[in-house]
Amino acid sequence: MEGLWLIPALPLAGFLILFVTEGRLPNRAVAFIGAGSVGLSAVAALFAGIDFLEQGGAPRAEHLWTWMAAGPFEVAVGLYLDGLSLVMVGVITGVGFLIHLYATGYMAGEDGYSRFFAYMNLFVFAMLMLVLGDNLLLLFLGGEGVGLCSYLLIGFFHQDSANGYAARKAFVVTRVGDTFMAVGLFLLFRELGTLDIQAAMAAAGEAWPDGSNLATAIALLLLGGAVGKSAQVPLQTWLPDAMAGPTPVSALIHAATMVTAGVYLIARTHDLFLLSPDAQFAVALVGLVTLFIASFTALTQRDIKRILAYSTMSQIGYMFLALGVGAWSAAIFHLMTHAFFKALLFLSAGSVILALHHEQDIFRMGGLWRRLPVPFWCMVIGSAALAALPLTSGFYSKDIILLTSFDYGSGGAWFWGLAALAAFMTSLYTSRMMFIAFFGEMRTEPHDRSGVNMWLPLVVLAALAIGGGWFGLAPLAGVLPDGGVDAAHHEGAIVWVTALIPILGVLLGYLIFGGKQLSVRALVESKAAQGVARFWDGGWGFDALYDRLVVRPFGFLARINKADAVDLIYAFIAAFARRLNAVAVRSQTGKLRWYAANMALGLILALLLVLLVPGT
Amino acid sequence: MQLLGLILLLLGGGALAALSQRLHRNAPRWLALGVIAAAALYLLAIPVGAAEQAAWIPRFGISLILAMDGLSYAMVALTLFLGLIAIVSSWSEVNESPGFFQFNLLWTLAGVVGVFTALDLFLFFVFWEVMLVPMYFLIAIWGHEARAYAAMKFFLFTQISGLLMLFAMLTLVYLNYQASGVITFAYADLLHAEIDPGYAFLLMLGFFVAFVVKLPGVPFHTWLPDAHTQAPTAGSVILAGILLKTGAYGLLRFVVPLFPEAALDFRWPAMLLGAVSVIYGGYLAFSQSDFKRLVAYSSISHMGFVLLGVFAWNTVAVQGAVVQMVAHGFSTAALFMMAGALQQRLHTREMGQMGGLWLKAPRMGAVALFFVAASLGMPGLGNFVGEFMVLVGAFQVDVPLTIAAAIGIIIAAVYALSLMQRSFQGEPNPAVAAMPDFGFRELSVMILMMVALVWLGVYPETLLNLSAPVVAQLGFTP
Repeated sequence: MEGLWLIPALPLAGFLILFVTEGRLPNRAVAFIGAGSVGLSAVAALFAGIDFLEQGGAPRAEHLWTWMAAGPFEVAVGLYLDGLSLVMVGVITGVGFLIHLYATGYMAGEDGYSRFFAYMNLFVFAMLMLVLGDNLLLLFLGGEGVGLCSYLLIGFFHQDSANGYAARKAFVVTRVGDTFMAVGLFLLFRELGTLDIQAAMAAAGEAWPDGSNLATAIALLLLGGAVGKSAQVPLQTWLPDAMAGPTPVSALIHAATMVTAGVYLIARTHDLFLLSPDAQFAVALVGLVTLFIASFTALTQRDIKRILAYSTMSQIGYMFLALGVGAWSAAIFHLMTHAFFKALLFLSAGSVILALHHEQDIFRMGGLWRRLPVPFWCMVIGSAALAALPLTSGFYSKDIILLTSFDYGSGGAWFWGLAALAAFMTSLYTSRMMFIAFFGEMRTEPHDRSGVNMWLPLVVLAALAIGGGWFGLAPLAGVLPDGGVDAAHHEGAIVWVTALIPILGVLLGYLIFGGKQLSVRALVESKAAQGVARFWDGGWGFDALYDRLVVRPFGFLARINKADAVDLIYAFIAAFARRLNAVAVRSQTGKLRWYAANMALGLILALLLVLLVPGT
Repeated sequence: MQLLGLILLLLGGGALAALSQRLHRNAPRWLALGVIAAAALYLLAIPVGAAEQAAWIPRFGISLILAMDGLSYAMVALTLFLGLIAIVSSWSEVNESPGFFQFNLLWTLAGVVGVFTALDLFLFFVFWEVMLVPMYFLIAIWGHEARAYAAMKFFLFTQISGLLMLFAMLTLVYLNYQASGVITFAYADLLHAEIDPGYAFLLMLGFFVAFVVKLPGVPFHTWLPDAHTQAPTAGSVILAGILLKTGAYGLLRFVVPLFPEAALDFRWPAMLLGAVSVIYGGYLAFSQSDFKRLVAYSSISHMGFVLLGVFAWNTVAVQGAVVQMVAHGFSTAALFMMAGALQQRLHTREMGQMGGLWLKAPRMGAVALFFVAASLGMPGLGNFVGEFMVLVGAFQVDVPLTIAAAIGIIIAAVYALSLMQRSFQGEPNPAVAAMPDFGFRELSVMILMMVALVWLGVYPETLLNLSAPVVAQLGFTP
């Protein structure tokens, strides 16, 4: 089947229509175009997927045109579909369509309805180019494109400067990552002479031995790009602030799709990482540190969206950990289940926030479970999957990650231990969020006004969040080196312990925040705990560090040199010329005697010169 | 004599425009528009590769040699396109002696077309001066508050560096005369001049400085922020969009082929200047509070990539530099027009007195956003192709300088987004009561530039195919 290009082209067409009509279309038409284009793209993806599986999973390439060529440098605009990109396309268009549908209701009544869907469609287009591109430059284009859309959507309510600040922060921080990636591409091209992914991966395997320095350098530079997009340590600081955007944006961009770009990038270039155990270890370490930091920070947050944002960071940390310890397929599996349950969580949270007139503080919610049944039950399902309770989708994917990291080399027990502790924290903060927001006394009166276009996506996502992990992930089998999700088998007590941990977390959560059998008041109010909470809340000092190291010095340098010091050189030359002129002017006195004396003096000097200097 | 005809058309049209003011005060702008449109149509009829020659001052070996290969064609096309845009964009801005204004505009364009096509060094120098003097008048007469200072600064920088070039040129011709016994200013003859390497290096420097002042590269850039900021919109559009390109063109056409060994010896310092320009220009752009001045400094940063690319000396980087020249022409010209449109509406360029303008003029906001994205190197738009190709090529030659220039791209994001924030986003400024949005005239011009940038970003092959044979001839490594 030809026509892969239709998948990204449809959302692009949606964007172009909305852009050209400048918001003059009625809202119904905008909703139709905005959600419909992504829906059609999902249908196209479905057909491509069926076709792909019928062909026995053979990769398909589609060359569209030569993008840029000069000398040995040649980059095409071409698409490539294999099991990995198929899963990504499915998640992006499928979950993306549900979120678009939800947003048609959520954004009703906001100014800039058309602008919103234009940005959202452009985003889906960019993300699809990222996962379908057959070369790293198209992947880069997609990455920068989603960065731009993320900027536009975080700052969607642009009259508020705080949103603008968060938006710029997200763009600049992710661009720092992109710059690492760009340098990685320069190096890759210099060494291998191509940016085509399949060709480069094949060439890398032939050109470099295991543990090669070049492979390590390129893999680490790509990792730099991945941590930026995926909000991993040390470039994670933008994600919590990105919650300034409307909630469907948080669901689509900052949970289900864009932040998974880094995971996709590493999975796509896994041959490079396999060549470099050091780089792969770095991936695991980044994931571990991030999931650990984020799961603790989530425990101290009051804003429901920020809790979910930190949970996203930590879940993507699990994916990085998986990539690092070699559970390649599990990383993508978790990427998919996470997209289901995190979209569900954000959208249900959005319904709650909307019903409470944009209240996001969980301590001003409470007792909502009777009044908002659909969002409540959806949140319960999403939380169960996030906490990885058995039988939910999140359980299956996270379980493989934890167990595979246990088998990882000599430090496996450490990796497992820290990741399991974070899993415990995950179920603890998730139950905290649920018990405080939905039980106890009601603190704000809700007004539910969601229509079918809002609860239908919730129900579908809820079904996926439960059942999305039951059947594994067949298309991945031939793509990634570990042979697919089902290849992993583990036995022994560790399996039971791993499964039990989230349940313990929920129990503890119930005892503290639900039944209140345990009081943590004394602990929470102690000075030490307050200090720790402040430290966590400030993102473990990263923001302050970057502020001191980069932001403030740059601002200072900008302030002192606004007038451009280089110009002083020319100002000095000009002033010097003026001074000479002033001296010359002074000699013009109008006194004849003075002129005559000078002439005589000059004559004498000239004569002396002729007499004294030989050879003139 | 097609090429000469093209130049004469612009010169004659300028003279007519000056006279036509007596008929009606709006006559000059319509006439100028017609002349440019006719020139553009005329250009379509001239084939790539056109060349013509006539004797001029045979005693000194000076002839009228004009030729247009792919590179020249691209540059002349850009010149006429932006010339048209400049006239439309200043449609209602100029009220004072409109005839003389259009005269200067057209004569500058004629000079630029001459510069891009002349293949006799003396003729080239004549055109170099022809484009300079009318531009001086454009700034000095129709400029903003500090126009006299800015115009004088522009004139002195260009004139002194031009003198350096003239001196280098005459020495080159003299040395060639000593070696071959023939006095000639013809480019084709001088390409094969045998010059002592020590002299060649000095002569190369003479040309290099003249062109880098024009480009401009740090530390010769300080005329630019003043000239751009003070010039009327049409002047800024032509200055940034076209005149800076003559510097880059000069490097490609003269410095490298005339003095290949000397220029190659100078590669590292030149690349260093390029990388420094990228970073320093971006850093100073961020420091500015004047909309137009910010855009002016960003030009220095963008043109730094051109310098870096030319001296990276390989096909990828040089082709990238060519794309960057054209893309920068569109993106910066559009941002200067935006600055002009804002100044016409708000009577200020200070971003402190803007803010939240999107709410009042959403079209202008969206257009500004597009060009800000282009300026910060968004993939899919022309500037990205240019910058990326330059960096890919430069990386093969010098890793640290390439990384430094790549950091410049991060800085570009910082200043470009801060421009957007301070002008169109954020809390609306209560002092701004109402502001008319773009009308048909302004919008259609902007759409033309947007289409051009998307085209360059998605299918740069159109331009790359045009310039590829030229780049192969100029003596760069593949």
